[in-house]
Amino acid sequence: MSLNLCAVFAFFFVSFLPGVTVWAEDLNIYFKTTPRIELLRPYADPANMSLLITGADGRPVKQGVVDIRLDAPEPGGFFSTDFPFVEGTRLSEMRMELRQGRANWKFLLPIRGEYRLAVVVRTADGGKASKDFKFYVRENQKKWFALTGFSIGLFLLGLMAGRVFTAVPKSAMVVLFAVALLVESSQAAEPPRIPETENAGLEIEAGTVGRPTAVRWFLTNAEMAAKPNALLTLTITHLEKEKIAFAVERIPVGNEFSMKFQFTDGAEYRVVALAEVPGKPPLRSEKVIGVTATEPPAKASVPALAYFVGLIALGLGAGRWTKRRAVVP
Amino acid sequence: MEKIIAIWLGLAVSEPTSFLIKSGIFLAVCGATLFVALAASYPAVHDTLHNVRHALAVVPCH
Repeated sequence: MSLNLCAVFAFFFVSFLPGVTVWAEDLNIYFKTTPRIELLRPYADPANMSLLITGADGRPVKQGVVDIRLDAPEPGGFFSTDFPFVEGTRLSEMRMELRQGRANWKFLLPIRGEYRLAVVVRTADGGKASKDFKFYVRENQKKWFALTGFSIGLFLLGLMAGRVFTAVPKSAMVVLFAVALLVESSQAAEPPRIPETENAGLEIEAGTVGRPTAVRWFLTNAEMAAKPNALLTLTITHLEKEKIAFAVERIPVGNEFSMKFQFTDGAEYRVVALAEVPGKPPLRSEKVIGVTATEPPAKASVPALAYFVGLIALGLGAGRWTKRRAVVP
Repeated sequence: MEKIIAIWLGLAVSEPTSFLIKSGIFLAVCGATLFVALAASYPAVHDTLHNVRHALAVVPCH
């Protein structure tokens, strides 16, 4: 009996387990962004993200699907980012078919911090592998310059007030600081204008900042849906900033494609799907949706306000000190 | 003149105390102004200063 059990265990270890582990190790998953990660900035231009899956021989996997999950940076530190509700939430979740071992998409990263990308690959011959990537996105340098300028302005305001309050002022002088912040905007590329079709549809849940929204494209024409072989181009554009927030180009889909996507700003977005079905004219579906904004919690504002008031108080102290130092010999 | 009236009314305070009172009022006014400009959700104020809030990197917005 025990000999039989040993034989069963031996068979299990020899035939089954090595097969699984060999497959997991044999699939290599590579992640790349364009521009490269060090140059990515929040709400700059959308990053081209690319996954390459190769076998042990280094050749791209021919057939398979990849599950992609992107999570936003966790909240941390004294100050919040400018989108506190996005911190620590899921940004997108989707499944894509591999084309020559690759999956490509565009994504507009909303905040600074460390993003987590979880990738699970399943090949047509039963292989499976997963890998987690972490990458850090630095804040836009213009914002740090703006913050420094604003901080210096507040300190100088406090300094002047401190000097005025320390001695009886003979005349009051009001200095107005005008800060004009120009925010560059780049033109988002628009897909070619093709009339909308009724052969395909778009379904988008009501979007709210802070939680992923279901986005679904599907073929409604029964004849086309029966022979699914479409290439889908899906583009989500932030209308106010005129930037592409997400895009996939000509990815092979069945008769539908669904994903979870978080609209990170309380603004209007345009979702355009363009499907190419062999032997048919392109199918275009479009929807403009308004995303419900969520007011940031008070605790997220407190550190920034405390910092600004603290700077003014510091300026007051410095102003009094400089005034007394000048008067007292 | 205002000093004479303050002494006559018994409201005179020392210079350091006067500085503290003035500074306290000034800080309160500045804090309230900053709150309205950078943290309040009044649509008119928010929409006008939306880009400024985002440009400062550490000020939360929706």
